[in-house]
Amino acid sequence: MSATTQQISAPSPGIVLRLKRYMLRHPGVARLGVVLLLFVAWEIAARWFVDPMFLAPPSKVLFAFDDVLATRGVPAALRLTFFELAIAFSIAVVIGVVVGLAVGLSKFGNRSFMPIILLLYGIPQITILPIFILYFGIGAASKIAFGVTHGMFPIMMAVVAGVQNIKPILMVSARSMGASRWQILRYVIYPHMIPSFFSGMRLGMTGVLLGVLLAELYVSTAGIGYFTSVFTQNFDPTKLLGLVAMLAAMAIVLNEVVRRAEVHFARWRD
Amino acid sequence: MTTIATPDAAKADAAIRVRNVSHHFGEEGEARHVRALLDTSLDVERGELLCLIGPSGCGKSTLLNVMGGLFEPTTGTVTVGDKPVRGPMPHDIAFIFQENALFPWNTIFENIMLGMTFQGVPKSEREDRARRALEAVGLDEFADHYPSQLSGGMRQRAALARALSLETSILLMDEPFGALDEQTRMVLGEDLSVLLSRSKKTIVFVTHSLGEAVFLADRVAVFSARPGTIKEVIEIDEPHPRKPEFMTSAKFHTLRDRLYELLHDEIRKSMSQSAKPKRAYEDAVAKGEA
Amino acid sequence: MSAPRDRFKGGLASRLVQVGFLVAISVLWYLATTRWGVNKLLLPNPLNVWDQLVDVIAKGEYLNDLRITLTELAFAFAISMVSGTLIGFAISRSPYFTKVFEPLFAGIYSIPIILFLPLYVLFFGLGPASKIALGTTISFFPVVLSTIAGFSNVDRVLVTAAKSMGASDYQLFRYVLVPAALPVILTGLRMGFTVALLSIIGSETIASLGGLGHRIVNLAENMDMARMFAYIVFAIAIAAFLNTTVSVLEARGKRQR
Repeated sequence: MSATTQQISAPSPGIVLRLKRYMLRHPGVARLGVVLLLFVAWEIAARWFVDPMFLAPPSKVLFAFDDVLATRGVPAALRLTFFELAIAFSIAVVIGVVVGLAVGLSKFGNRSFMPIILLLYGIPQITILPIFILYFGIGAASKIAFGVTHGMFPIMMAVVAGVQNIKPILMVSARSMGASRWQILRYVIYPHMIPSFFSGMRLGMTGVLLGVLLAELYVSTAGIGYFTSVFTQNFDPTKLLGLVAMLAAMAIVLNEVVRRAEVHFARWRD
Repeated sequence: MTTIATPDAAKADAAIRVRNVSHHFGEEGEARHVRALLDTSLDVERGELLCLIGPSGCGKSTLLNVMGGLFEPTTGTVTVGDKPVRGPMPHDIAFIFQENALFPWNTIFENIMLGMTFQGVPKSEREDRARRALEAVGLDEFADHYPSQLSGGMRQRAALARALSLETSILLMDEPFGALDEQTRMVLGEDLSVLLSRSKKTIVFVTHSLGEAVFLADRVAVFSARPGTIKEVIEIDEPHPRKPEFMTSAKFHTLRDRLYELLHDEIRKSMSQSAKPKRAYEDAVAKGEA
Repeated sequence: MSAPRDRFKGGLASRLVQVGFLVAISVLWYLATTRWGVNKLLLPNPLNVWDQLVDVIAKGEYLNDLRITLTELAFAFAISMVSGTLIGFAISRSPYFTKVFEPLFAGIYSIPIILFLPLYVLFFGLGPASKIALGTTISFFPVVLSTIAGFSNVDRVLVTAAKSMGASDYQLFRYVLVPAALPVILTGLRMGFTVALLSIIGSETIASLGGLGHRIVNLAENMDMARMFAYIVFAIAIAAFLNTTVSVLEARGKRQR
């Protein structure tokens, strides 16, 4: 479709056609256009069609960031959430790597514990969130713990997969050149594991974000959850959207950091 | 019982001696049980290029792996020089595999260096030897490329460079050009012939290609269908390095036809067998039984 | 020679480790509550939990909550399944649209959408509507992404071959595109189902008037621990049953294409 449009418009292109051709060559720009269009639709809907008790236009939300941050306790709650995410992620990575290596490197460990890990991973953890709050309180500890249990499994799985999916020929080839066990671990298994380790980190980050934010939203007497319920009860969509937008931005930045790392460390893959 | 061993006088000079080797994959009675190699004996002379040729699944790759100590034979013995083979012998034997066995996360240069690290070459020598090996295969400009950035032919040249850098007296090549197109294989075959005529290495070369076998080999060992054993050994009396003209000569064609005649029935026989042996072989490699 | 027996022994040992693990946890749980004096308000006696579970099931008390959760799930999944596959197919028809929308969807999917729950609650209220809306939103993305991937990665050779034999557009769709794309789409549908279930129980837990998640929170607030544990076990069993069913359907669909 795109190709024919380009060919037909070859002679003396007008401004519209030129724009069209530009968009065709740069899907990224068009994507940005789609996003902008969505915001415009939202703006129009919020300004003229929807009760302001429920929805605020994006322009207003943007200018309400100051207001949100000026609300007593919000900056502290955001900082705390960020801190919880960082701690939970670090713990999830450590547990995920240690358990993943222990299980992945031994045939017996793999056969014995992989089913248990899969079983635990399959449990919908959200059902036990109340237990976490009960045991760890409404403070940071419960949220970190819930983030860790969400983040560690994907990392474990990725480490196990990374250790195991090595092409057998590479192991045989290393052995034929006289590689010791340690050298195989250091020069074959370790580098092979790196890319899947980083994609595990990305999935782990997604899990940690989910776990921490779920727990934050669940506890309505402190932190982010407190403010979202206050803003909801006050029918203050501007501030609510502002707060959610800031958290979403936090999530996007953290995801992006891990994704960049993944791309960087997997560059030998064609 | 096939015993294709050179006369006693020449035995002293055998680089690899294979005696009554059989190899099974899996256990008797198991679904995966495959008798890949049956009571095979063979002497590889020092400095010769021996081709192993035969239908798929006839056990020629198995024999190569047994020679190199990557598989332990079910019965029989292999000696290299005067040492019995009980595992990989990185100081005597270098391998080149069919698939791309370069480490994808290392550059070509790093791959060659790593091979020498494994083999235990002193640090000070490695870089120099790696450069020389790369020059020998004409890849010096691509030292810092990753394997995924090279063509299949270049990757196999790099694998050859890695094997050369190990400076072993024996080179075992398992269908090294198997995954390449016909034209690339021809050129690589010519280059290999030139390279090896200078190096005085002992080479065992597994191939599917009749032309490749005749063009490269001093002797060609023809395998029977599974369970494989050596049916006949044919001499190719033509000096190295072989010229491209050899390929169009009457002598080449006579030899090639002779090989075809020997192989034809065996190929038919092996085609009526199932495709299992490859699986069994891969399983063995994956499980690390190899 | 002894390799198969060793393998058998290895398998047996692994089973023993697994059973031992589960037994150890149960025994530890039991001992903690009966011998070591762990507070009943933190950890109820497992036998007590079992009695409560039997009671919940025998009295049929779970029915109302289960019905709410399942209804929400059915609506959410039905909507995301239909919209996801249709939109995904439409987008996959043009490589250009694929390039525009696919990264956009993937980007949104990587944000924890549960964040928007407060907005949904504000908009749709505390009832089932907000759960359905959130469940739909969250499960839409895996479905649409896998549909796009499934249809746009169909081997060109298959399409060319079918066209060379004179296949009509419908025949191409019915006999080439759908069977080729189906495995990927089915995987996406399975993932969509799983995340829909999770997000519905999750949003019930956070803000709701009914459903299994709501019941668990309610019991937690009343400190009725044994019954809460019983409901947790029940919810996990339901989720396991549903997820297994869907996985089986996925596997069957992949075999039968």
